[in-house]
Amino acid sequence: MLISKMKRNIGQIACVAAAICTLTACGESEPQTSGAPPDMRRLTSEQYRNVIHDVFGEHVEIASRFDPLVRTDGLFAVGASKAIITPSGFEKFYNIARSVARQAVDKDNRAVLIPCAPADALRANEACSRQFFTEVGRHLYRRPLTESEMETAVSAANEVADQLNDFYSGIEFGLTGLLVTPSFLFIIDETEPDSSSLSGLRLTGHAKASRLSFLLWNSAPDDMLLEAAETGALHTDNGIERQVERMVRSPFLARGVRAFFEDFLDLEKFENLEKDTTIYPAYTINTAESAKEQMLRTIVDHTVNQDAPYPEIFTTRKTFIDSHLGRVYRVPVARPDGGWEPYEFPEDDVRAGILTQMGFLSLFSHPGRSSATLRGKAVRELLLCQKVPDPPGDIDFSLFNDPNAPSRTARDRLTAHATVPSCAGCHKLTDPIGLGFEQFDGIGQFRVAEQGAIIDVAGDLDGNQFADAKSLAQAMHDSPSVPACLTNQLYSYAAGRAPERDEREFVRYLEAGFSDSGYSLKALLRDIATSDAFYAVSEPKRVDDGVRAASFNDKTKQELGS
Amino acid sequence: MKIYFLPVLSVTVGFLTSAGMSVVAADAPENRTLGFVVQGWMPSVYETKFIDECPAGLNISNDEIWWRTLSKAERSEKTQDGLITTLDRWFLAKSRGPKGEDVCINPEVIKDDPPLLTVEGATSFGVNLDGNTDGSATPKTCTHENFISPVGVPGVDNQLYRLIGCIYGFRDQGVIEINANEMRRTSGLAMILIEVTDVDDAKNDDDVTVTFYRSIDQFPLDSSGQVIPHSSYRVDYKGGGPRYGDSLKGSIVDGVLQAGSGDVRLPYYGNYNYMHPVIRDMQIKLEIADDGTNSQGTVAGYYDLEQYLYLTGGLGPVISTGNFSCPAFFDAAKRMADGYPDPDTGECTHISSAFEINAFAAFVVHPDQSSNMETAER
Repeated sequence: MLISKMKRNIGQIACVAAAICTLTACGESEPQTSGAPPDMRRLTSEQYRNVIHDVFGEHVEIASRFDPLVRTDGLFAVGASKAIITPSGFEKFYNIARSVARQAVDKDNRAVLIPCAPADALRANEACSRQFFTEVGRHLYRRPLTESEMETAVSAANEVADQLNDFYSGIEFGLTGLLVTPSFLFIIDETEPDSSSLSGLRLTGHAKASRLSFLLWNSAPDDMLLEAAETGALHTDNGIERQVERMVRSPFLARGVRAFFEDFLDLEKFENLEKDTTIYPAYTINTAESAKEQMLRTIVDHTVNQDAPYPEIFTTRKTFIDSHLGRVYRVPVARPDGGWEPYEFPEDDVRAGILTQMGFLSLFSHPGRSSATLRGKAVRELLLCQKVPDPPGDIDFSLFNDPNAPSRTARDRLTAHATVPSCAGCHKLTDPIGLGFEQFDGIGQFRVAEQGAIIDVAGDLDGNQFADAKSLAQAMHDSPSVPACLTNQLYSYAAGRAPERDEREFVRYLEAGFSDSGYSLKALLRDIATSDAFYAVSEPKRVDDGVRAASFNDKTKQELGS
Repeated sequence: MKIYFLPVLSVTVGFLTSAGMSVVAADAPENRTLGFVVQGWMPSVYETKFIDECPAGLNISNDEIWWRTLSKAERSEKTQDGLITTLDRWFLAKSRGPKGEDVCINPEVIKDDPPLLTVEGATSFGVNLDGNTDGSATPKTCTHENFISPVGVPGVDNQLYRLIGCIYGFRDQGVIEINANEMRRTSGLAMILIEVTDVDDAKNDDDVTVTFYRSIDQFPLDSSGQVIPHSSYRVDYKGGGPRYGDSLKGSIVDGVLQAGSGDVRLPYYGNYNYMHPVIRDMQIKLEIADDGTNSQGTVAGYYDLEQYLYLTGGLGPVISTGNFSCPAFFDAAKRMADGYPDPDTGECTHISSAFEINAFAAFVVHPDQSSNMETAER
């Protein structure tokens, strides 16, 4: 896009003048990509919640939970494009839709949420129904309703209103219908002809608006973005630039960044996190919620509010704590009765960065003890984008778990365990990293010894020696794989799929831009959101009867079995 | 807010690991602070397996004293043939004065209750408060009988034990103090904080200051209802200063904190009574647990008798299950008092006492003095 490319070119000139740049790092123009076939992604629970709250208000409760998505290529956002809706899953959507619709037309809310009032509330009122579905439908479907969709909603509302002698029951019924359609539940890559593109197709303005909005705000487009889609502005570089800049500056960006990191760091695992409270009395459900919140607050404050370099999330001493975490970290809090407060670990403290926070340390541990292997695996897979093979099915844990064995620390046990050839390969990948965190127990409390033996936390990260968790964090900060992994995963998250083969050059281009920006996450988001690649679509997949667009009508019929 | 925290872990506890290894080096920075929140507070009661310390046995209950004065017909009528249980008729039994007076609030209206059975054994927990071993009167004390400690140290002053030691409700598993502890644990009232300042070495330091505060925060409890250590507690401030805040000078020897003596006002809540007793010539000894949990110790001193009797008089249902007669108890208490004679009457106004306490590592959080923040009355 225009402005970002200009900025990159300016950067290029500066770099050349300084004679310190490589071609890749210095703002070469965006590599051309052909994109991927149009697809459809199911809304995540959080996206559903955000859209409903944005349209109807924060007070609308969404009590139930949806069927989980499958984590694919390290992201739920990618799994969302492979999601199907089962009959029981549909039932959940239906029940939630009914609840949302009921709350929307509730006597306390209708004056605010319904833009008109019928002259006679005991009868159908087509004009008012049409006005309501026009306004609400545009936000729920992220585009105007088609005439046929409008007709379906209005006629259903009228019929019910007449039968029940209640206009608002009709609205409730019609709204429930909208909330269970694929056009609401799926983000659909709707396309239109475009002779200037390689595939002859481009995303519609509304589809581009949805991509942008769900990436940056994790919710549906707002009025201004929809207007930009409707005026054709999103088909121009300038139009995209203006919207992206507006959205990046918005407080809602924090919501989008939280959603990405929740997915990227697999924080959904907190839903099922369990600890043995006889071993860890400081652990409660509240503590776990605080631990997750601390990670997200730290990251959002660092990358969004401070716009500080991404790798520093591994070394920053600044964070936020509450009374639950104060007990785990053994630090005082000013508000023991609740609330968050900024906190900075002292310079000589054992903790720095998100990897030494309770969230990471407890999430990747066993219920009753720490796990160097799980922690090392998490670092490799989540933060360095390296695949650690699954363990073989016939592992002999007797040596590892033998209570009479002389080993007292995790290092002793893992060293003994790693003598088994089938285990050694993977443990060499995970344990040298994970053992660096062994001074933190299964919920992240600091300790210096295990069973009376001093814990040795020295190790190496791909050849970089470290002495303890803090120097391991510094090694992570310095690793080129860290920003590269983030770039790849953020683009995958944005596109809802892993990069295509011909997009690898584009991802390297993003990495270079990320580096040039001083690893500003905001800059990376701008680069993605203003790139041509982000909106590129290739030809739809061919099936027996020829070319088929990503029509939800076709796809949904298959998936719903109708 | 101003939080007194330390270079490193200092605010509170400098301790440690499952292996009992201190993370606080002996040459740790000076002027560190240790903090504790008191969870358990029970009178020290020395008990033998066959109650040898009470040769006449334990006292009977106020309830029994009451119904023994009634005819069979009256018992049947007042208890609905026993359907109104002891716990449910506690107020009825307590109101057994000639005109229906509450005999715990007006003990003088009853003159003929059986005398309170008191401890006759020679052994007791506690400390030598008055400095002598023969129990003779001093300017600050009345004549009394001393105990010998379980390890043979003579001169132990603990007349409170002599008073309550033969009452079931004050003994091990007795309902009165267990109930009071439970009410403190769950209500957040009368939270006692201990702040040890000027600590150069958490294991051995010959000069530390121990200050007692009240907290306005409750205990955070784990999933099994136990207090979670290393929590933060705000000090109760009013009018720019702490509402409580008496200090004692002391030392730490091999991890055992000892301080005193001096007069200390403390908050107390239990069995629906709230008060602010001053314990005179108070001493404290606390064996600091390596892991910060459950440090055990003893507090000893002269307890204000009027306050103690106020507490006893206000007991609720436990008056019936705790097993003693208020008039007899009040009468005996005055005889047992051994500290701080009234200059006019010569009668002692305080009673020597000893209490077992347990405390958890805690962060003692002070408000910013400049904000003049006042805390809500609890």
